[in-house]
Amino acid sequence: MKLKHLSLVLFLVIATILSLSCSKQKDDNNPITITIWHDKEDVVVDVIKQALEPLSPDIIVNFERKASLAETLKLVGNNPKTAPDMYLYAHDKIGVYAEMGILEPITNLVNPDTIKNLVPMTKTAATYKGNMYQLPIYFETLLFLYNKKYLKAEEVPSTTDDLLTYVKNKTKYGHFGYIEQHSTPYYFGPWINGFNGKVIDEKGEPCLDSKESLEALAYHLKFVKYMPDESEYATVNTLFIEGKAHTTIGGPWLIPTIKNAGIDLGIANMPVINQTGKPLTPYLGVQGFQVLKTGVQDPSKKQAIIKILEILSSEEVEIKLALASGCAPALESCYSDESIKKDEMVMAMKTTAENAVPMPNIPEMDVMWTVTGNLLTAVNMSGQDIETSAKQAQEKALNLIENMK
Amino acid sequence: MKKILTIVLIALLAISFVVAQPQEEQTSLENESDETSLSEELIDKRPDQIIVYAQVPEEWKFPCLWAWSKDGQNAFENWPGNQMIKDDNNPGWYYLYVPGFVDSVIVNANDGSIQTSDYTVEGKNSWITISNPETVSVSFDPLTGNTLPEYFQLYSVFAKVDSSWQNPNIWAWENETGKNAFKTWPGREMKKNSDGFYSMQIPVWCDSIIINANVGQIQTSDLKDIDPSSVWLTISKDATVEITYNDPTAIIVPDIKVYAKVPSTWDSPCLWAWSHPDGTNAFANWPGQPLEMNENNWYESDAPGWINSVIINGNEGSIQTSDIRVESGKDIYITVNGPDSVEFSYK
Repeated sequence: MKLKHLSLVLFLVIATILSLSCSKQKDDNNPITITIWHDKEDVVVDVIKQALEPLSPDIIVNFERKASLAETLKLVGNNPKTAPDMYLYAHDKIGVYAEMGILEPITNLVNPDTIKNLVPMTKTAATYKGNMYQLPIYFETLLFLYNKKYLKAEEVPSTTDDLLTYVKNKTKYGHFGYIEQHSTPYYFGPWINGFNGKVIDEKGEPCLDSKESLEALAYHLKFVKYMPDESEYATVNTLFIEGKAHTTIGGPWLIPTIKNAGIDLGIANMPVINQTGKPLTPYLGVQGFQVLKTGVQDPSKKQAIIKILEILSSEEVEIKLALASGCAPALESCYSDESIKKDEMVMAMKTTAENAVPMPNIPEMDVMWTVTGNLLTAVNMSGQDIETSAKQAQEKALNLIENMK
Repeated sequence: MKKILTIVLIALLAISFVVAQPQEEQTSLENESDETSLSEELIDKRPDQIIVYAQVPEEWKFPCLWAWSKDGQNAFENWPGNQMIKDDNNPGWYYLYVPGFVDSVIVNANDGSIQTSDYTVEGKNSWITISNPETVSVSFDPLTGNTLPEYFQLYSVFAKVDSSWQNPNIWAWENETGKNAFKTWPGREMKKNSDGFYSMQIPVWCDSIIINANVGQIQTSDLKDIDPSSVWLTISKDATVEITYNDPTAIIVPDIKVYAKVPSTWDSPCLWAWSHPDGTNAFANWPGQPLEMNENNWYESDAPGWINSVIINGNEGSIQTSDIRVESGKDIYITVNGPDSVEFSYK
């Protein structure tokens, strides 16, 4: 009896000491601060902030929008004082940063079941030299958009030759049958990929003067002749938003503005290229979280990042993020959700993405954006010979890649 | 014993008070939810759109309708509202479809210089008979027969004609089917505007038009394959036509100047500018437009007048301010003390 009492007293004493020591420990701890850089719209960041709120006050997450995220990271990515702990960005810079040695493999921080549940192409996009460096959250491609005021669904050209005929008939008096950012490499992607060409291959060899590239450039030029000379983002989007273009190729980031402008928007399948039988095949961009090595050096920070990634990779958050961004969720299981199934744009994105080509994530691609852009400017805007320009661009790319090494 | 009884009683009272609280809250919530669903039900009963008819005196030219809801939502952007459509089947009557939320209307004419008072229509099809601005009656029973005209969206055709073209009219049809917008040639009289253009709205299914004048004696050729979008025609004496979808009367927003002072450690400062929230960028690539030092020791750059957000950056974009929201169309003076310390003004 006495023993029973004694053990009870002892238990109470130990429990009290433990409880006091635990609460003292918590009082002594400063909150862990995690900094996330991003280049996203407020609607997307608001969803993430809301999802991470329960971590407060133990973990404080600061979001910093960086217009120059990719370039700034090259300069400060290995400096623990100035680098963020994580960043939310497209997958295409993974190779550059992995070679710089500033990224932590995401597989060290995320539950393997989450990885298994990802749409396979997002895993491919997030992987460089056998290591996965990104937790994919949602993915995006360009979509074929049309103004229902000018075309009914059944009138949307199903092939590129039909599109060209449509463009020739409808481009007049200040209206355009079809517009795109014709001299921006990302928008040339659907054409070169659709012609079975590549800007660069898996080995890092540029392919700008290949037979397929030349064919794509020549055929694309037939459309460019019916587009405005200025082809930057502002001009092209404003023309579509103001109802001055019947059709365009645009990303999900454009949709809210188009709808706010009162455009009766239609989304259609990409026209099929007559010469190859393949649809215009855009690049796939996978948006997700990358973690910097500097962010996980401190074990308590590492634990905080693991918790953050666990929340952000939940089905509920990914669905909210997909709906906010108009993109397709990276988790396969999200597609059984009714709100996702009902969303015309998200589902169109998924369908288009099935044919899309992930943007190359190798470091050599870093120089190819500029070189390809200059090639497109030479051909589309300065009227220079396609073959000569392509050869010059190829040489330039080879030189730049050699210099990188 | 008394003490214990008192304590028990107090405890019971306290428990009953605590239990009663949520019940009261719930009742009040239930009431609120009843009210909400009732008002939602009422709103739901309204049609998407209603038709407003008006019979106007002969001297009321090109009548327009101004319409709004009880909570101040206007159906149209600017006074005098949208032009009403002449009903060829009911001479003297004009009509317009408006959103179902409309509670009140004003009928006006002659460029808004003559008008009725406010009249309540409460989201119902209405027939307004106007003898003069003070003598007006509103009927919710049809006064133009039981068949309502077909609803369709409209677009505007603007025409500037040679001075020899008197009282221009528009004739419009759908080319594929030959369906006409108006009952008889020469079509609908166009309204003269202060900018020298005549205008008239036609149904969106019309892709072909003719402008004629002098009681149909002179006319353009068939203008086919016209997009259902505001279109401006300039018609010469010999009936040749120049067509554009770009408003020739539009005021072009002039460029603005952005001036900046930056810390001495910020080399080669640049301006990045865009329109929030649509994200339209003023410049193609980061870090944007280089700023140039002027004679007053301010860096400066031109930017499109429509931008409302800027970032000043330096050192090839590796250091930058946060987003600075500004008013469109105004020159801006920005003093950057550091990435997180910025002051700006418009003077």
